Amino acid sequence: MRIQDLAQLSTRMFKTNPLRTWLTILGMGVGTGAVVVLVGLGFGLQQIILEQIVFGETLLSLGVSSTGAQGLSLTPETVVEFEKNPAVLDAAPLARFPALITYKGLTGNVFVQGVEPPYLRYAGVTATEGTVFEEADAGDTNSIMISPATLKLFGIADEDVKAFIGQKVTLKLLVPADDGTDNVNEIVIDKEYIVRGVTKEQGVLNVMMMLPELRNYVGIEEYERIQVRVDSNQNLPIVEAKLIEDGYRVTALSKTVEQASKIFQGIQVVLATFGGIALIVSAIGMFNTMTVTLLERTKEIGIMRTIGASPNDVKYLFVSESVVVGFLGGVTGILMGVVLGLSVNLLLNIVAGQFGGQSVKLFSFPFNFLAFITIFSAAVGYLTGIFPARRASTLNPLDAIRYE
Amino acid sequence: MAKPLIVCRDLSIIYNQGKSNEFKALQGVNTDIFEGEYIILFGASGSGKSTLMYSIQGSLPPGEGTLLIKGDDIYSYPPSERVYFQRYVMGIIFQSFNLIGSLSVLDNVALPMIFCDADRTTRERRAQSLLDRFGVGHVSHKIPAMLSGGQQQRVSVARSMVNDPKILLADEPTGNLDSVSTQQVMDKIDEINTFDRRTIIMVSHNAAHLSYAHRVYYLKDGFIVREVVNPQRKQIKPVKEGETIVTELEQLARLFPYDSVETLRVKSLVNYLTQDFSFDQIIRLERATGMFIQGKVDRDAYIKSLVLPLERGGVEVDTKEARRMASVTESLINNADDIRRYRARKDNNSIFFSQHKLAERISEHLSQKYNIKLNKEQNTNITELIADRVTGVIEDDDLNQRLMKGVKSGGLGLSEKEADDITRYFEKVIAQGVDVSYKN
Repeated sequence: MRIQDLAQLSTRMFKTNPLRTWLTILGMGVGTGAVVVLVGLGFGLQQIILEQIVFGETLLSLGVSSTGAQGLSLTPETVVEFEKNPAVLDAAPLARFPALITYKGLTGNVFVQGVEPPYLRYAGVTATEGTVFEEADAGDTNSIMISPATLKLFGIADEDVKAFIGQKVTLKLLVPADDGTDNVNEIVIDKEYIVRGVTKEQGVLNVMMMLPELRNYVGIEEYERIQVRVDSNQNLPIVEAKLIEDGYRVTALSKTVEQASKIFQGIQVVLATFGGIALIVSAIGMFNTMTVTLLERTKEIGIMRTIGASPNDVKYLFVSESVVVGFLGGVTGILMGVVLGLSVNLLLNIVAGQFGGQSVKLFSFPFNFLAFITIFSAAVGYLTGIFPARRASTLNPLDAIRYE
Repeated sequence: MAKPLIVCRDLSIIYNQGKSNEFKALQGVNTDIFEGEYIILFGASGSGKSTLMYSIQGSLPPGEGTLLIKGDDIYSYPPSERVYFQRYVMGIIFQSFNLIGSLSVLDNVALPMIFCDADRTTRERRAQSLLDRFGVGHVSHKIPAMLSGGQQQRVSVARSMVNDPKILLADEPTGNLDSVSTQQVMDKIDEINTFDRRTIIMVSHNAAHLSYAHRVYYLKDGFIVREVVNPQRKQIKPVKEGETIVTELEQLARLFPYDSVETLRVKSLVNYLTQDFSFDQIIRLERATGMFIQGKVDRDAYIKSLVLPLERGGVEVDTKEARRMASVTESLINNADDIRRYRARKDNNSIFFSQHKLAERISEHLSQKYNIKLNKEQNTNITELIADRVTGVIEDDDLNQRLMKGVKSGGLGLSEKEADDITRYFEKVIAQGVDVSYKN
């Protein structure tokens, strides 16, 4: 039998029994829809977290800080030493000093962080508003980035953050005195800095400027932190182990991501299980329908067999019918799932907006996932159809034709 | 000698073998069916005729024996290859049409070609031309449920022919049809046999169809009890000289299809003892008389057809005899009309009818045949008797007895022979004149 004829013969049920066919498709659709929504939720949650932390270079970086215990400190020499390791591509330091920031007469305590542009990449620092320091900005002496909490310090509301870009602030560094006392020297920087960007760091009062600019005002003997960029994934644990052995404290973002991913995979499995149960229920319903269809069509099978349909023709007819139902069930389910997910998302965002929260994408439906669901539901259709089909093909034509 | 197309040797089929409801549907059946033959498998329900046909069709594997189609044992192939025979060698027609309700008439006819991978244009052209040929081309885009039974069966004949098979199997194709549709379908099947030269194997229990076939296999309780050759058709199966000759039994078998060979032999002999006419003459006489009774021919034409020689389709009786027959028939018909009128008026409670007219005619008959004139009392009595018989107050035996009784006791005082004759004549009249009703 040719494909187009098979298609024509196996879609007759839309004409002869439209209600039952569409109900079966709907049943299948609800099951797949449940899977789509729940797994989509899992994907969405995962993405919300990972979107914040995952960048290519960030994952291949190790954050090194001193434990302080063994008198190990991070100095410019340490940076050079780190870079000697063949597996290390680069090491970027961060220096930190307490400071006072003044904006329109308001003054507050912050930390000034001096970094080089690579550090920002390795640490995954991004801007919610304005721009991040690029490689070209390495020699920048006029602009700074500040954390959102610093804005709160000045009483800037969330919606005014954008307007704050380009504003000017002044800084006063508080540098510990060299004389061994707890005294602090106040170094006044006699110029105004333009705010070029707002970082995403939550809950810290930070101001970020270029390291060379910081050096203009203060001598840097010791770094707070060094980001080590490792050349490859394989070398990451090796370098990490070496650093830990040397007595440094090492944090690897890749680990956090890995753990987060694992947790979300777990969540997804749980969600998919619930969806799967719904899918199994609808598959059983569909199996039932196919079996009833078989009984109903027994006579027709008999007729077809006596006028020249081979057992395989009969089998293909049944299987393709259930694959069509399964496939359409999958498509319906995807439609229902995506529409439901997006509506819930929209609703949540409206509610969140009312209460001043951030808008999020709680559901995510990657194309591959949807494609998989479509194929999977067609496969479920195939499986529910194959047994009735096999039975149909082995019926004795004469018994079948006399079946009433 | 040409080889037979279908050969059955010692074919046995047993349903539910070894169980308590074991049923021997076919027992040691032997048949040779030749290409181009029209074969009818005849028998009552449960005789095994359908079993034999479906076994040939490929749906019922024989328990024992061999079945060869074109020299091939079709049951030696797996079902997936056996399908070849159902596609290209055999077409099938069912009693209940078995069209697929969800497909158009055109698709139904084209369906067997779909299974053969024919492309759309080819199969639709072929299907349409067949539908046109069988007179249902104008309904090709309707669904089967919108067609009459006769149309549906012609559609299914078209379907059976769509792959141009060598053999056409028909399972009581006219069982669900009215007489007009039956005739149309039988004519089409006959045309397929005589014009397209296809082999036909038809299962039937309608004796009226037997004249179409070359040969009829009579089945009873799973056995082939008789094979009857139709002398009116030129035989295809090679007949060895002297081995089987066409006898009167073959002719009788078609007249009395449900009787055994023994009964037929008795019938043949008794016919010789009691009748001057042969069965052939009787059949023709029946046909001519039927036309005369129904008023389709007049008296002269009736006499003419009786006188006409056998070879020209007549009964071949002499003119005097023909005239006698005509007048007897005519008076019988007239008497019957009187009876019909009498019964009609009786039902209407009419007071205008009297039995005198009938009595007059009966007396007339008596006087003609025995030269008896009835006196007044006898006349009164016969009028009474006739009324009683026609209204069903007395049976034919009572009538006979009363005719022999004395005039004083309400009879006519006739002799036994006269009474018998009158009774017989009058029963014939009643048979003609009383409408047979199955309503009650």
